[in-house]
Amino acid sequence: MIATATIPLLRELRRRLGAENVLGAPSELVVYECDGFTIEKNRPDAVVFPRSTEQVSEVVKLCARYGASIVPRGAGTSLAGGCLPVGGGVVVMLTRMKRILTIDLRNRMAVVEAGVPNLELSRALAGSGFHFAPDPSSQTASTIGGNVATNAGGPHTLKYGVTLNHVLGLEAVLADGSVLQIGPVPDPAGLDLLGVLVGSEGTLAIVTKVWVRLTPNPEDYRTLRAIFTSVDDATNAISDIIAAGILPAAMELMDQGIIAAVEEAYRFGFPLDAKAIAVIEVDGPAAGLDEQERRVETICRRWNAREVLRAADPRQRELLWKCRKMAVGAVGRLSPSYCIQDGVVPRTRLPHILRRIAEIGAKHRVRIVNVAHAGDGNVHPILLFDERDRDEVARVLEAGREVLAECIASGGSVTAEHGIGVEKLDFMSRLFAPADLKAMRRLREAFDPAGRLNPGKLLPSECGASAQT
Amino acid sequence: MLPLSETVTPADRNELADRVRRAAEQGQPVYPLGGGTNLAYGAAPSEPGLGLSLAGLERLVDYPARDLTITVEAGMTLATLAEHLAAEGQQLPVDVPYPDRATVGGAVATGAGGPRQYRWGTLRDYVIGLSAVDGCGTLFSAGGRVVKNAAGYDLCRLLTGSLGSLAVIVQVTLMVKPRPQCSALAACPIPDWDTAEHLLAGLVRTQTLPSAIELLAGPAWRDAPSLGPLPAGAVAWLAVGFEGTDAEVRWMLARLRAEWGETGATVAATLLDRQADPLWKALTEFRQPGPERIADGSCAAEIRVLPGHVVETVRRVLKIDGIASILAHAGNGVVLAHIPAAAVAGLRSAFRASGGSLVVASAPAGTTRDVATVWGPPPGGWTVMQALKCRFDPKGILNRGRFLVADGCR
Repeated sequence: MIATATIPLLRELRRRLGAENVLGAPSELVVYECDGFTIEKNRPDAVVFPRSTEQVSEVVKLCARYGASIVPRGAGTSLAGGCLPVGGGVVVMLTRMKRILTIDLRNRMAVVEAGVPNLELSRALAGSGFHFAPDPSSQTASTIGGNVATNAGGPHTLKYGVTLNHVLGLEAVLADGSVLQIGPVPDPAGLDLLGVLVGSEGTLAIVTKVWVRLTPNPEDYRTLRAIFTSVDDATNAISDIIAAGILPAAMELMDQGIIAAVEEAYRFGFPLDAKAIAVIEVDGPAAGLDEQERRVETICRRWNAREVLRAADPRQRELLWKCRKMAVGAVGRLSPSYCIQDGVVPRTRLPHILRRIAEIGAKHRVRIVNVAHAGDGNVHPILLFDERDRDEVARVLEAGREVLAECIASGGSVTAEHGIGVEKLDFMSRLFAPADLKAMRRLREAFDPAGRLNPGKLLPSECGASAQT
Repeated sequence: MLPLSETVTPADRNELADRVRRAAEQGQPVYPLGGGTNLAYGAAPSEPGLGLSLAGLERLVDYPARDLTITVEAGMTLATLAEHLAAEGQQLPVDVPYPDRATVGGAVATGAGGPRQYRWGTLRDYVIGLSAVDGCGTLFSAGGRVVKNAAGYDLCRLLTGSLGSLAVIVQVTLMVKPRPQCSALAACPIPDWDTAEHLLAGLVRTQTLPSAIELLAGPAWRDAPSLGPLPAGAVAWLAVGFEGTDAEVRWMLARLRAEWGETGATVAATLLDRQADPLWKALTEFRQPGPERIADGSCAAEIRVLPGHVVETVRRVLKIDGIASILAHAGNGVVLAHIPAAAVAGLRSAFRASGGSLVVASAPAGTTRDVATVWGPPPGGWTVMQALKCRFDPKGILNRGRFLVADGCR
């Protein structure tokens, strides 16, 4: 969109939404030029803060009239550039649509506006005996609309599934500004548009309201931390637990590098000489937990765990989870900059991929520390660097690419929960054949023929270049 | 039931794709055929066309059991799939009727989900990858072989439940689960409908972990398998299914008895493992009854409402047809009812007005099976669905007249 066309659009937006809900000055727009992925930046032409679905619809219709592209944005925690305004356009902020509309325990359901932060819903549910299962590490900030857009996961997806499995209905504004409600009661007379919209990274519609499924809190937990003398032993134990038919609620891995950072930040009491720590949680009716715990411990011991300890009380459990979820943030203590990757391999390839990550780090002289949703085969290698060192930045990018290539070679994928965004566009043609991408393109065209919703994301353009305007 | 002018059985996916391509060139309708167990679902097409049997594609492609995923060709039967999985102590926890004949591809295309969806979800929650042939004869794949994958659009979900109207599914990768040691069904006769709602509402807060919450009413259940006759004065059975280790199931059964005891309800029957199998089977097959199990002129309607409206829905159905047979997967708001076909339209408008839906899940020969009767008026998002149909099957040859009807594709 060229700047001259922006002026009448801005005027219209201000008239409809009120001047205080529209940003257009370059100094105000700079905040929105990137999200959690900071390598690429681009300034939007405008940022709007609608307060209702009707206003979102109006904005979309106006943008259609002026031919402007639209970038929906929640808390902006995307690590893949999902909110990068490629080619400018209007950023639609959903953060002022943050009402929890209904909590309906009889139907195990809550209705929330898209901008409600994930953790806000959990807080609102405290004491009800229910919770919203998806718990991405970004949950203090990230919005439920954003969770829907990326089909977010988290540690507990191992047992409880990803966001998709917890969405009953959606209200969304389509590319022509019309409002679509799907669910909360399914209608088998149509295609599963809800399933398609979840994880579509804001490229098919702007989700404004979500009917989420509530999950009963388990009767009891056993949260264990197992300390291993090698990463290999830890990953083999995790792989064996899955293979043994035990289904823990979560199985997380932290390696020595990240343990040091976490320990410095939170002083949990992790031994600094441990090569890897697994946090394993089993939950459910108390009657079955002792046996599960015993089996988990036996397998860990078989793989030379030197200690398997149970969180003594709810406070200790909470701290253990806090350590895990804040682990990435704690990395700031290790290096001025870091880049967190998101790769996934078949579960049994976990030992292999972590070995390869270590080799790739050594080869490129990049320090890599690891956290992983290990039970799902989902690794989050964190590459440490100093962004002032341009040679190091280049090596980090190369090492990151090599890690993802190795995930593909191992039968996996380049993202389990962060999404493709702009960051991983180049990998799509390595993961998928041209016919597969063509099928995806048809889906996009069916929803958004003009390609104005979050353009330049998720799908590489047909000629192979990643950027499009 | 389908107007087949001929039937072919391609030996592999390439041959199948070729056959679809040729049909597209000639504008010939193509009807994909799995085990033929669910042909009474969907509108009855009138145009003769090519029967495309998947019986030649039934290979096990890859089963890395320790990853808890399996990749099979679409023509494999559910029973064969279950055998492979059982050998490794695993299962696909989705109930599909007539597994000896029903195929994996057919189950995915119809979006199967039975009684155990309360705990385990439906097939849609297990399909992590697939390959399919679109209406132009082009083969494409979607998803992958990992349990968590956020790369690109998830076309697996688009095709699950699409009744073969967008593409012919030729291969499927599924996420599977460990097979529980033990399963059980506990049933209680319900004296009146208010008690039914009271117990169902109570089950929302149960300490147990039900796999299924089933409400059974009407003549079909008069002699429910292994339950025996419904006690005089009772209006329905409420059955709750559990799975887990022996210790877990024993505890859950005891816990349920205690929870129900507080409300005055009593467990009249507890069926363990094999004893429970005939009832599980009946609960699974109710949606697709054989002609001998449904009254003449009746069909199986699938009504969807919020779980809290299930009892009210059952009562509404009974008001229209006092001898209707009903099975509700009550925890999920699925109410299946064997009702006279003539009652469908009236019930549908009532449920749609309150945000519910009604489709005809199975209509035996002799009942009207046009698109309007089976599916009702177009659901929300119809324009997008039409656009999808036009892009995946521009000639409109796939299952023409059964599900998605696209007019005026450009």
